[in-house]
Amino acid sequence: MTNSIQELQDADLIFVIGSNMTEAHPVISYYVKRAVNKGATLIVNDPRRTDLCRWAAHHVQIKVGSDIAYINGLINEIFKNGWANEDFIREHTENPDEMRAWAESYPVERASEICGVPVARMKEIARLLGTAKSVSVCYTLGITEHICGTDNVKTLANLQMVLGNLGKHGAGLNPLRGQNNVQGACDMGALPNVFHNYQPVTDAKAIEKMEKDWGVTGLSRTAGYKMPTMLHKALDGGTRVLYCVADNTVQTEPHMAHTIKELQALELLVVTDIFPNLTTALAHVVFPDYSWGEEEGTFSNTERRVQRVRRALTPPEGCRPNWWILQELGKRLGYDLGFTSARAIWEDMRRTATSYAGITHERIEDVGLQWPCPTLEHPGTAFLHKDGKFSRGKGLFCKTDWIPPAEVVDEEYPLVLSTGRRLWHYHSGTQTRNSVGLENLFPEELLEMHPTDASPLGIASGDLVKAVSRRGEVTLRAWVNERAAPGLCWMAFHFEEACANVLTIDAFDPVTETAEYKVCAIRVEKVRDGEAPMEDLRRQARP
Amino acid sequence: MAGNLEIKSVLDLAIGREEEAFRFYSEVSGRVENPGVKEIFDQLAKDELGHKVFLQACLKDPELASKLPVPTDYKIAEATAEPSLSIDMKPADALAVAMKKELGAAEFYQDLARSASDATLTAMFENLARMELGHKSRIEHMFVDIGYPEVF
Repeated sequence: MTNSIQELQDADLIFVIGSNMTEAHPVISYYVKRAVNKGATLIVNDPRRTDLCRWAAHHVQIKVGSDIAYINGLINEIFKNGWANEDFIREHTENPDEMRAWAESYPVERASEICGVPVARMKEIARLLGTAKSVSVCYTLGITEHICGTDNVKTLANLQMVLGNLGKHGAGLNPLRGQNNVQGACDMGALPNVFHNYQPVTDAKAIEKMEKDWGVTGLSRTAGYKMPTMLHKALDGGTRVLYCVADNTVQTEPHMAHTIKELQALELLVVTDIFPNLTTALAHVVFPDYSWGEEEGTFSNTERRVQRVRRALTPPEGCRPNWWILQELGKRLGYDLGFTSARAIWEDMRRTATSYAGITHERIEDVGLQWPCPTLEHPGTAFLHKDGKFSRGKGLFCKTDWIPPAEVVDEEYPLVLSTGRRLWHYHSGTQTRNSVGLENLFPEELLEMHPTDASPLGIASGDLVKAVSRRGEVTLRAWVNERAAPGLCWMAFHFEEACANVLTIDAFDPVTETAEYKVCAIRVEKVRDGEAPMEDLRRQARP
Repeated sequence: MAGNLEIKSVLDLAIGREEEAFRFYSEVSGRVENPGVKEIFDQLAKDELGHKVFLQACLKDPELASKLPVPTDYKIAEATAEPSLSIDMKPADALAVAMKKELGAAEFYQDLARSASDATLTAMFENLARMELGHKSRIEHMFVDIGYPEVF
């Protein structure tokens, strides 16, 4: 996030796109609701009527995968009406004339045809954005989980630069990270192409520095594979060993049947996790590790805040923390990292990475600190790009063009399936499916369908249905409601017995290799009549 | 107690250093390729001229220097390695060079303050050191904003 979470409550307008915030980021949604109560305008842009829409002045029901056309159309309208922040553009951006010309190729009428939002509605949204004092854009996986995810993000950056809404309190571009510590994992270099502190593994200076800091030689000069490539190469021997750290790959990657083939082709699959799941079932070796309540260390959240994690429970007999398991493995392979605790590892990170050099366990005993925090004297950084300053110099406008999803509907597969998360369960359910309380609250996955699509098939809520894509089929009960637009079905990936990723397509963004989890084509068949799954499903989905 | 002549000499020295810094930033600005970096160096050169104007005002009223606020010192320049000058340097590198220079200037005056035998001169050197630390602090703020990109 370029802003802090708390700043959201001071924004004049909050533009949420591709984010089911109340279910996936409920704490952050409180700040958005607080902002609305203080008078902020909330615009929720989503193909589904998510719960946050109840607080929104506008719910813009864009078609799945049409974000670039929609945003470009808004940018066009903002330029046309003189609402662009010309001072910011002149002082802080590169190639604005190219951007202006590019936006002209997306007149609002054309954009409307692609995204399905009426022209008058688009004009009103553009006016609200163009005349607001400060706009905070929040987005999540509804933006990134597309084959054009990178361009989706660039388009939102273009919008905020056109409006001059960067580097200000309460105004910025705010991706809400998908998990509690995904920010921390990236910061620590759990990526194929950077060391911790985002130092490129292909940069000679960075390698020289890390070899000196760690007292080693011969660090690889080559970036590793991203996840899909890593798995794909298992089929031709390019990947022989896979070590999964608390990642239920089978259930979380798209096209499950193909993922299983890839994992089965490995010579060695090692998995660490806290409970058995579909991936541990395929593993040659399983290491039992600690859960979050048994760990010591830090998590870094989406606003770059490093927070202490402390042990609350005694771990079960035989389990070990992940760092210990990795270190023991290293010893047996001939290299001892020599750490004695999570704190010692953090101190090593601090020593070798300037952006969190000032964050000690002592300093975050009560409240976490936000990086950059380069020295012990520094108080941490609430928001980035102050006064429109960017790491590359000036902000670069990127021309982004809408492309259709990898798979579109046809006669055989006439419905779109989009996927996401539910409030009551987390990720692949390895943790939450083992909680009796949460299982009672939401015990099974349901296929959400619009009445317009369900009725001709004779499907009512509770009926057993089969959702079929080109990659597989899932049998589960239907939940007929009007949350999604006609033509759009929705389900989550938390339940291994009815997992959306049996159906999802293994098509990827070319830059990030993130899969297009948000769009694939399916057909739905009725299996038999059933009983409505719960009387109060609506309440269950509404935190 | 130091006379006006000595204070004037100190301020002349400081003005000379600001002029030198102006020439340095202007020269580097003419060599770099990145327009953002060029802009930073141009701004730094302009800032040095502003510092010179302030010191010239101090020639008329030396008390002005004692009224400078005490800056917050996050010691970021001290913790940052100095990048080498190159035509393809990044904006953060430009700021790192500048904050290191300001740190060097502050240390220069701090050293003089320690070795001065006269209380008035010591105070003037301390004031000048504080001025340079103020410049360092401003550049450090800018550096933190852009110096730690999350790029992968």
